Amino acid sequence: MSGENKNSKLMFAVPLIIFFLLCIFLFKGLFSNPRELQTGRLGQEMPAFNLPDLMQENKNWSEKDLLGKVYLINVWGTWCPTCLVELPYLTKLRERGVEIIGLYLEQGYDPDFDGEFNIQALRDEVSQMLARTGNPYQYNIFDLNRSLAFDLGVSGAPETFLVDSKGVILLHHTGDLNERTWRAKFAPKFTELKEVKL
Amino acid sequence: MIPELGYISLTIALGLSILLCIYPLWGAYTNNLRLMRAAPALAIGQCVFVFISYAALVYASLTDDFTLVYVASNSSSSLPWYYKITSTWGGHEGAMLLWVVMQAGWTALVSISSKSLPWPLRARVLGVLGFLGVGFMFYTLLMSSPFESLLPYYPVEGHDLNPLLQDPGMIIHPPLLYMGYVGLSVSFSFAIAALLTGKLDNTWAKWSRPWTISAWLFLTLGIALGSWWAYSELGWGGWWFWDPVENASLMPWLIATALLHSLAATEKRGVFKSWTVLLAIAGFSFSLLGTFIVRSGVLVSVHAFTTDPGRGMFILGFLAIVVGGSLALYAMRASAVSSPGRYRLFSREVALWLNNILLCVATLIVLLGTLLPLVHKELGMGSISIGEPFFNEMFSYLLVPFAFALGVAPLLRWKQNKFNALKNKLLLIGLLSIVITASWLYSSYDVVSSMTFIAVLLAVWVTISTIFDVVERATKQTSLIVGLKQFTNSYWAMVSGHFGFACVVMSVALTSAYSVERDVRMMPGETVTLNEYVYRFDGIKEIVGANYTGHAAMVSIHKEGEKVTKLYAEKRLYNVGMQFMTEAAIDASLGRDLYVALGEQLNNGAWALRIYHKPYIRWMWLGGLIMSFAGLLILLDKRYRGTSKVPQKHKDSNNASQPVASGEVS
Repeated sequence: MSGENKNSKLMFAVPLIIFFLLCIFLFKGLFSNPRELQTGRLGQEMPAFNLPDLMQENKNWSEKDLLGKVYLINVWGTWCPTCLVELPYLTKLRERGVEIIGLYLEQGYDPDFDGEFNIQALRDEVSQMLARTGNPYQYNIFDLNRSLAFDLGVSGAPETFLVDSKGVILLHHTGDLNERTWRAKFAPKFTELKEVKL
Repeated sequence: MIPELGYISLTIALGLSILLCIYPLWGAYTNNLRLMRAAPALAIGQCVFVFISYAALVYASLTDDFTLVYVASNSSSSLPWYYKITSTWGGHEGAMLLWVVMQAGWTALVSISSKSLPWPLRARVLGVLGFLGVGFMFYTLLMSSPFESLLPYYPVEGHDLNPLLQDPGMIIHPPLLYMGYVGLSVSFSFAIAALLTGKLDNTWAKWSRPWTISAWLFLTLGIALGSWWAYSELGWGGWWFWDPVENASLMPWLIATALLHSLAATEKRGVFKSWTVLLAIAGFSFSLLGTFIVRSGVLVSVHAFTTDPGRGMFILGFLAIVVGGSLALYAMRASAVSSPGRYRLFSREVALWLNNILLCVATLIVLLGTLLPLVHKELGMGSISIGEPFFNEMFSYLLVPFAFALGVAPLLRWKQNKFNALKNKLLLIGLLSIVITASWLYSSYDVVSSMTFIAVLLAVWVTISTIFDVVERATKQTSLIVGLKQFTNSYWAMVSGHFGFACVVMSVALTSAYSVERDVRMMPGETVTLNEYVYRFDGIKEIVGANYTGHAAMVSIHKEGEKVTKLYAEKRLYNVGMQFMTEAAIDASLGRDLYVALGEQLNNGAWALRIYHKPYIRWMWLGGLIMSFAGLLILLDKRYRGTSKVPQKHKDSNNASQPVASGEVS
C-alpha cells in the first residue's frame, strides 16, 4: 500500500515478467489449431449417402458410384444467383475434361410444412436454366433434405469440393468458381492428380 | 476508383501518423518546441484521411461494389441500406478499419482538447497515440485491407451479411466496444507520457480521468448491449456465455473500473500513484490482448472471426512491443515514485484499495479461465474446456467481499475513521437489509436458496447504504431537498454507479434462480401455463422480409383471464446465405420477461415452441444503463468540461467539517 517506494525495483518488474511468460504461450498457441476437430471433411472420405438422381426417375447414387475417378462436386440450385453466373464457367471446365457432379440443394423445403414436393416443376426449371447456361454436370444428385450437404459441411451455394479417385475430399471451396479461383486453388491439385494440363 | 481512393487515403494517414509518432516524441526528448507543436496538426490530418478512407468503404458497400473482396463476402445487393452500412464493420477487415477510425478520432479529440497541457506532456501523449495508430494502420494495410480487389473476376452477388448481425443491437454493439477499447488507449498514453516525463503527480490523474471515464462508459454500454443482443437474438434466453470474446471485453472493463476508482484516489489524495499507472497500462493491454484473442484464432469461440496465423503474429508482435515496452518503462520509472499520502486501516483509501484488489482478482480469474485451455494444451496436458460453472463459482466468491466493501466504502471518509462511530450505522443498515431481503424473497418465492439470499442481500445492502449515505450527507447542515441539490455531479455518479451495480447483482441472482423454461409441442389453439401466464398458440403465418422469408408463431398470453399481450416469434430463412435465424418474441417489463422462441415444425401441424419466464432480467441492462449514466454525470461535471485549466479545489456540497471527504466515486 503506502510502502510502494520502499520495495525493490524487482517488484515493479513483476508485471513485465508475467506478461513475457504469457506471450510465450500465446505465441505457441498461434501455431496449434484449436479447430482441428471442426475443419470439416478435408482429407476424409466422402460421407456415405444414397440419394436419387435429379432428372431421372428411379435412379439412385451412392458414394460407391463415385470411386475411381477425380471429380468435382458442385453444390448449386436454381434459386442461387451466383450459381447462375458460375454455370457457364463450369461448362467450360467440362469442355476441358473436368468431371463435375452436381449436388442439387433445395432451398428451405420443409417436408412437414410444404406438402408433397413438386419434382416435375423443378426438373423443368433446371432444364430451362441449363439450356441457357450450358450443362456442366455428368449428373445431378438431388439432396432434398440437405442430408449430404449437412454431412459435407455445406453452408450455402455455390460450393465446390474436389474428390480424388479414392473418394478422399481434397478441397472445399465456398463461393463461385472462376478462372482466378480455379487457377489459384484447384488447377494445381487437379493437374497433380490427373497429370493433364488444364 | 473510390476504393483505391480509400486505400490511398489510409496510406497517407499512415504516413502522417508515423510523423506524429516521431516528431513530438523526439521534440519532447530534445526539448524542441517546434517539433512538439507539429503534433496537433498531424493528429487532425491523419484523422481526416482515415475518415476519407472509411467513407470510401461505406460508399463501396452502399453501391454494391462486389469487386471488393470485403463487400462481396459481407454484403449482398438485397441487403437493406442500413445493413449495408453496418456490414462495413461486420467482417474482420472492416472492423479493423473501424478501429483505426476510432483510434484516429480519439487522437484528434485529445489533440483538440489538450490545449492547456504543458507542451512536453501534450506532445508525448499525442506521440504515443500516434505510435498506436501506426501499429493498427500497418496491420490494416498489410494484413487485413478491406480494399482488396477481386478484379478482373468478381462475383455478381455478395455472400450477404451474417444474419446474426442483421439486428439493430448489432449495429451499435461493436462500435461501442471499440470506442471503449480505443478510449483506453488514451489513458494508456497519458500514463506512458507521465512515465516518460517522470512526473507522476495528481495532474496526470486529473487529465486522464475524463478520458478513462468516457472509455469505461462506452465499454459498459457495449457490454450491456452485447448481452441484450445475445438474449434477444440467439433464441435461447441466455445473456452471458463466458465466451472468450465476451471475456475479452469484460477484462478491460474490470480493469477500467478499478482504474477510475484508483484515479479518484490518486487525484484527490495523491495515493496509489504507481498502481494507477500500472492499471492504466493494463487497461489498454487487456484491450489489445482481447483483440489478439478474438482476431488470431488461438481460442475457439462462438464468435469465430478469423484464423490466420499471420495476422495473429502481427498482433502478438505489436502486443509484445506495446505492452512489453510500457511494462519495461514502468519497471524502470515507477519505483522512483512515492505516494506520500498517509491513511489508517479504516479509511476510504483502504476501501478503494480493496476494491482494486478484488477487481484485479476478478480480471485474473477471467484471464485464467480464458487462457487456461490454451496453456493446458501447450504444456501437453491435453485439451480442456473451462465453462460457466468455473466462472460462476469464482465470481460468487468474489462478489461477497466486493459488495460488502462497496456498501461500507461510501460511508468511510478519507484518511481515517473511528470504527465505533460507524459500527452502529453498519449494524442498522445490515439489519434493515436482512429484513427487506427476507420479506421480499419469502413473500414472493416458495424456495429460497442461500446463494440467492446472499446475493440479493448484498444488492439490497449496497442500495440501502448508498441511500443512507445520501440522506446523511444531505441533511448534515440543511434540509434534505436543499442538501440534495448541493451534491456535485461526481457524487451523484458514485450513487448511480453503485446503484446500477446493485441492480445487476439483484437481476443476475433472481434470474438465475427463478427463470422457468419449457419446451413444448403445441397444435394451433392449444394452451400452456407457466407461472400463472397462459400461452395460447394461435397459429402460424408466413412472413416475408427484405432479404428473408419465414414463419411467425402467433402466441397470445393471458393472465387471470385478462389479455397481456400477443407475441410473434419468428423463424427466418435468409435467402442469400440460406441460414436459419430465430427471432425470439419478448414481452418485457420490469418484473418479468415473457419470452417465446419458435422451434421446428413437428408432424401434423404441431410446432415446437420454447417458452421462458424470466423474472427481473430487465434490471440487468437497466443496471448497466444506470452505471453508464454515472460516467455521463462525471463527464458533464464542470471540472472536466472543455479545457478547464486549473485543477480546481473541489467544492463539495456539504462539508465544513470534512474538507477532504468529498463524495467522489469510490
